[in-house]
Amino acid sequence: MNLVLDIFTVSAVSAGALFLLAGTVGLLRFPDPLTRLHALTKVDNLGLGLVVLGLLPQADGPFGALKLVSIWLLVQLSGAIVAQLIAGAVRQRGPHG
Amino acid sequence: MEVSRVMNSSETQSRPANSPGTLGSAISRAAGFFGFWLVLTGADTGDLAAGLFAAVAATWASLRLMPAQEWNLHPIKLAKFVLHFLRQSIVAGTDVAMRALDPRLPLRPGFVVYQAHLPPGTKRDTFCAIMSLLPGTLPCGPAEGNGLTIHCLDVTQPVVEQLAAEEALCVQALGGAQRHG
Repeated sequence: MNLVLDIFTVSAVSAGALFLLAGTVGLLRFPDPLTRLHALTKVDNLGLGLVVLGLLPQADGPFGALKLVSIWLLVQLSGAIVAQLIAGAVRQRGPHG
Repeated sequence: MEVSRVMNSSETQSRPANSPGTLGSAISRAAGFFGFWLVLTGADTGDLAAGLFAAVAATWASLRLMPAQEWNLHPIKLAKFVLHFLRQSIVAGTDVAMRALDPRLPLRPGFVVYQAHLPPGTKRDTFCAIMSLLPGTLPCGPAEGNGLTIHCLDVTQPVVEQLAAEEALCVQALGGAQRHG
């Protein structure tokens, strides 16, 4: 049972790391600030979500698991809101303002 | 200060304080914040006083910043919406990751104006936050009239139709402005 959970953790965290890598590639390759925001918000949320999902079986009891999920929710919330604020600023002042 | 006790639910929407519903919101928010504190600190009994103080302060700040309002949440529709949202998050992340890793970098970025049905306010902000995590869309401020300017990774996709469908689901789950079609 432990082995199954460990395999689950390793695969989910690796998949998450791949998405985080892809998000970073997007940050470097995408042509302008707005497209880069897409890369950061969407890919990193999925990447972090998979890392959190993978770590849940290793969590320190239900409080530890809830704490991990809270981290993901807080990152998602701040990402969704800050991305809109940066996008609004870029649209108003141009990419170099 | 005199508090009017007779008020229908549409009036409670914009009342910032002292309206019926504020007490209920205060209690449920305080319980939520205190629960969150317990999760963060691992429910250490030595920290309970500080946690209570923090929960009261957070409730006060949240009622100042986001006054109590009617949400009419439908739990089953909300649960369905959360599942739908998780699926869409996977689609969104995979979509952008594939585009980023594709050697040809297939992007057709551009702006689309979307006429939102939800009125400006907390519910529309919630929808915008959800939209920014959906595949290929990123709201970046208001447009003419009741519109929202949306930045899209690929303007050849039927973005407006997809957003209309998402908004309809969101309205069903949050019990927002009822408008069909």
